[in-house]
Amino acid sequence: MRRALIAALLLMAAPARAEELVSGISQDTIQITSNYTGTDIVVFGAIERALSPQGRSIVVVVRGPDEPMTVRRRDRVAGVWVNRDAARFEGLPAYYYLASTEPVARIAPREALQRYGIGLQALTPTAIGSHHDPEPFRQAAIRYHQRMGLYAENPGSIDFLSETLFRTRVPVPAGVTRGQYNVEVYLFRGGDVVSAQSTPLFVDATGLERRLFNLAHDSPLVYGLSCVFMAMLLGWISSVLFRRPA
Amino acid sequence: MELYLPVAEMSVNWLMLIALGTGVGFLSGMFGVGGGFLMTPLLVFTDIPSTVAVATTLSHVTASSMSGALAQWRKRAIDFTMAGVMLGGGILGTLFGVWLFALMRRQGQMDLIVALTYVIMLGGIGFIMLRESLATLKAYRSGVTASRRPVNRGWIQALPFKMRFRQSRLYISVIPPIGIGFVVGSLSAIMGIGGGFIIVPAMIYILRMPTNVVMGTSLVQIIAVTAITTILQATNNYSVDIVLAGLLVSGGVVGAQLGVRAGAKLRGEQLRLLLACLVLVVAAGLFYQLIARPLDVYSLSEGMP
Repeated sequence: MRRALIAALLLMAAPARAEELVSGISQDTIQITSNYTGTDIVVFGAIERALSPQGRSIVVVVRGPDEPMTVRRRDRVAGVWVNRDAARFEGLPAYYYLASTEPVARIAPREALQRYGIGLQALTPTAIGSHHDPEPFRQAAIRYHQRMGLYAENPGSIDFLSETLFRTRVPVPAGVTRGQYNVEVYLFRGGDVVSAQSTPLFVDATGLERRLFNLAHDSPLVYGLSCVFMAMLLGWISSVLFRRPA
Repeated sequence: MELYLPVAEMSVNWLMLIALGTGVGFLSGMFGVGGGFLMTPLLVFTDIPSTVAVATTLSHVTASSMSGALAQWRKRAIDFTMAGVMLGGGILGTLFGVWLFALMRRQGQMDLIVALTYVIMLGGIGFIMLRESLATLKAYRSGVTASRRPVNRGWIQALPFKMRFRQSRLYISVIPPIGIGFVVGSLSAIMGIGGGFIIVPAMIYILRMPTNVVMGTSLVQIIAVTAITTILQATNNYSVDIVLAGLLVSGGVVGAQLGVRAGAKLRGEQLRLLLACLVLVVAAGLFYQLIARPLDVYSLSEGMP
């Protein structure tokens, strides 16, 4: 497996000379099956021979589809914790993973990171319908996703196999949302992006899982009725099986 | 041992969920309650989204109740007339509950209202049951036979639209059963419960039905209400997970059968004392969650309110 990967990288390395950076992913779709418990994808690539020591700063960002979300804050009212203020956000991804050769703050200035959406602090969603400072709410949304393993920053997790070949593992946990993801690889030099490549990654359910999900959304009445029918049938069967001979 | 749930969009340990279904099913068979008030908080505890937990628990309750109801039916211990009248109120209550559910979700007060309702309902009912069953047990011990069915039913006898419920040996107005059905129906939609812990005491203490028909009749009512609510949740919120339901139900129906047998070995008063303790423990746990400082005062929900 590893040898095949390196062979593939070596083949790709030849045309890479022309454009400084070439990257790829180990699989372009993740199929969610009934025993899916999360998986790893491998992002690999090659850069042109480094001209200077700063020439090897690489950042890999995997970004899931944007999802609108609402963050609420609880306050204590008469001894009970009650939801009071809320902020609604648009433009926060459902999944965000960053791997880099070194902490991003050392790779480029804030403005550059902000421009390319690199790093959790560069996730700047639009706050809708909030009458107060949305910043603590944004931080809370990031914290929440980090706890669920859906947002992560992992500096120093890019391995160099040689002077020009690099590789990193991206964990995709079980709780991911279906949809189109983007794998972005950036090559930084002197604090700015000199080359970048984006590859789509599709996360989708297959087989029975997909059919059940589709049924639940396309014909919810049939789905609901089958749920009730199944429950009643199983209830009846067990009652017959356990019937004590009188 | 992991299985992916298509609607909840997460992996779970299926053996644990079958065991959970069996355990709650056992209690529901024993006490003649659906077990939703235990199942919903337990599912949320295993990180299943609360909307999915509320909607899917209902299937577990339907199945456990079906299994229990058939056992009672063979004993001829069901008052179908009473169940039918209560269901009339139950359907209205369910529709009202679904409307209220949507309203509270927009306000962001869903969790609070659910928790408060749980604490008040479970706390109040648990306390009343505990007091009554302790009094009865004490009376047994001192050799005095407690009067089980007082003749004076007060305000209930004064209500119009009286009807004969042969199986329950009652001649009372249809207003209290319809009212109870309505309350239970709306709570079913909001809390994801069958409402057995409300119906059973209401039948015993308000309607004064004989204990032997209470179990069967409440189960029939619960089956109908949870079936309707499941369909409403599936069509309105797409939050019923059929794989999760299958796991819970498979465990639940076995547990319910075992529970019915265990329940037959205990006296009615002992059963009520045990149920009262269980209800109070759940209420105390939920109350603690309301007043304890949350891990993170911020909470997140996907989508727009």
